[in-house]
Amino acid sequence: MFSRSTSCRAAQRAIRQQAARPAQRRGLAAPASGSFQYQSGEAKGVKFACRDFAGPTTTLALVSKAGTRYQPLPGLTEGLQNYAFRNTERRSTLRIVREAELLGAELTSYHTRESLVLEAKFLRDDLPYFVELLGEVASSTKFEPHVYNEEVVPLIHFAHKHFLASPTDMAINSAHSLAFHRGLGNPTASASVTPYTKYLDPATIEYYSKIAYAKPNFAIVANGAQHEDLSSWVNQFFDNVPSTVEVQPGLAGTEQTKYYGGEERIAHASGNAFVIGFTGSSSFTGKFYKPEIAVLGSLLGGQSSIKWSDGFTLLSGAKASPGTYVKTTSAIYSDAGLLYTIIAGEATNVAKTAEASVGVIKKVAAGEITKEQFQKAKAAAKFKELEFGQNIKAGLELTGAGLVSGDKPYQIDEVAKAIDGVSEESVKAAAKTLLETKASVSAVGDLFVLPYAEELGLTV
Amino acid sequence: MSAPSLARTSFVRNRPWLQKWLQPMAEWYKNAAGYRQLGLKADDLIPEENDVVQLALKRLPPKEAYDRVFRLRRAFQCSVSHQLLPKEEWTKPEEDDLYLTKIIDQVEAEMKERDDLEAMVIEKRKTNAASH
Repeated sequence: MFSRSTSCRAAQRAIRQQAARPAQRRGLAAPASGSFQYQSGEAKGVKFACRDFAGPTTTLALVSKAGTRYQPLPGLTEGLQNYAFRNTERRSTLRIVREAELLGAELTSYHTRESLVLEAKFLRDDLPYFVELLGEVASSTKFEPHVYNEEVVPLIHFAHKHFLASPTDMAINSAHSLAFHRGLGNPTASASVTPYTKYLDPATIEYYSKIAYAKPNFAIVANGAQHEDLSSWVNQFFDNVPSTVEVQPGLAGTEQTKYYGGEERIAHASGNAFVIGFTGSSSFTGKFYKPEIAVLGSLLGGQSSIKWSDGFTLLSGAKASPGTYVKTTSAIYSDAGLLYTIIAGEATNVAKTAEASVGVIKKVAAGEITKEQFQKAKAAAKFKELEFGQNIKAGLELTGAGLVSGDKPYQIDEVAKAIDGVSEESVKAAAKTLLETKASVSAVGDLFVLPYAEELGLTV
Repeated sequence: MSAPSLARTSFVRNRPWLQKWLQPMAEWYKNAAGYRQLGLKADDLIPEENDVVQLALKRLPPKEAYDRVFRLRRAFQCSVSHQLLPKEEWTKPEEDDLYLTKIIDQVEAEMKERDDLEAMVIEKRKTNAASH
């Protein structure tokens, strides 16, 4: 018999160990902290990366360099996204859906500014089936006109309606187009019906699919799959995709992104949104990575990470009313970034908060922040980054994009290390350069109340 | 198929001698039926008051849909005025293609697949059945 105290201590130790090592078993060769590390490889020209979580499910994604940035004509990315998992040479849409349902899987496709992602989540044993499915979708989707009319166009139209109804979406997209013009500035959803009535048809989408699903342009990323397994299946099922980019159409969006800045004001009846954006940091896998921007972003913040409190961030203290939504995001792309603050809510409050937030940035630039605030911001930025790594969806896309554009997966651990190295001075310097460069300011909503950038003291 | 047809069954097609024997008769029948004299195609005569054909009609390319409506209206006018078209406007045998039947087959295959999947009996995989 154990005495009571010993058994108690053993139980405590067990719990502690479990907490330290959540349900992931690592092989001996992997570094102890390397749970976020992706192993990358190449099979017959197809790049892939995977990490082996020991859970019973797998998330597999095909990340293609075919986001709105790279589309040669507007709407193509959306068209291709909605053609995913439709009729192929071998199977019909219905069969794909029913088979996935029988296996208990989830199929989704979505796009961001830079990537088009086809994603499947399923039970671990079904890996070969879904690698085959992704290979089939990439190589032998039939771009049939009636599927386009009956299923693809209505979805694009819904996305368009949704976009028009949301002032925040409009403001963010407008800020991006001000900041980057073409390429990264392309809106993520159709801002008018012109793109899909004028430019889009099944043949054009098929042509774009040959570029998007060419071997150098996509990567396979898996969470919860063994490297050898994935390697052998990828080897087997991606024979039919084009191995080179057949056509060189001036390759839209591939040139180095340039920051412009400016101001745009859009009248909107159903809400107010105000975006103040500045040139930011590229993704870790890109060339213009600046970790201090992430820290500055979390210092400005606006959202609270704890309940019943405004949080420590500067903007949450500065906002005009508790109901005003303020959030600072450091949007990172492969070769550029946009640090933007979005303010939404009642028009007068939005105007006041916008004024206050410019004041806050000036304060940071002047160095009027306490050491404590800086430490908090750094910790929050690091936590966000690491949590981001655990968030499978985000990790998949960044890793895929990193593999396609720079041959290196997005290694969260290294990003966290980079954030650790940020000093207070570098954040202040970053804030100062923000104010010196041109801002991208976008106001959507009640234009009578919302301020001009000039009035806020920003240069545009 | 929405209209019964002997030619579309594999019974005739699989027996060359029978097809050879029936083909001239079929040609004669098609001319005698009189739709060609009104400028129609055989597929214009398929009854359209059902879901399958309605869906197939929606899937017609715009040009073919326009031509179909034109043929139907012209035939209607001819019928009302108790006249045939001038001989050079009759549908030629090589023009009498199965433009709609192709799509109907596709729609029917889709519906059959759906029914088959609905009627499927699911069994647990052996590996899973053992472990649960």
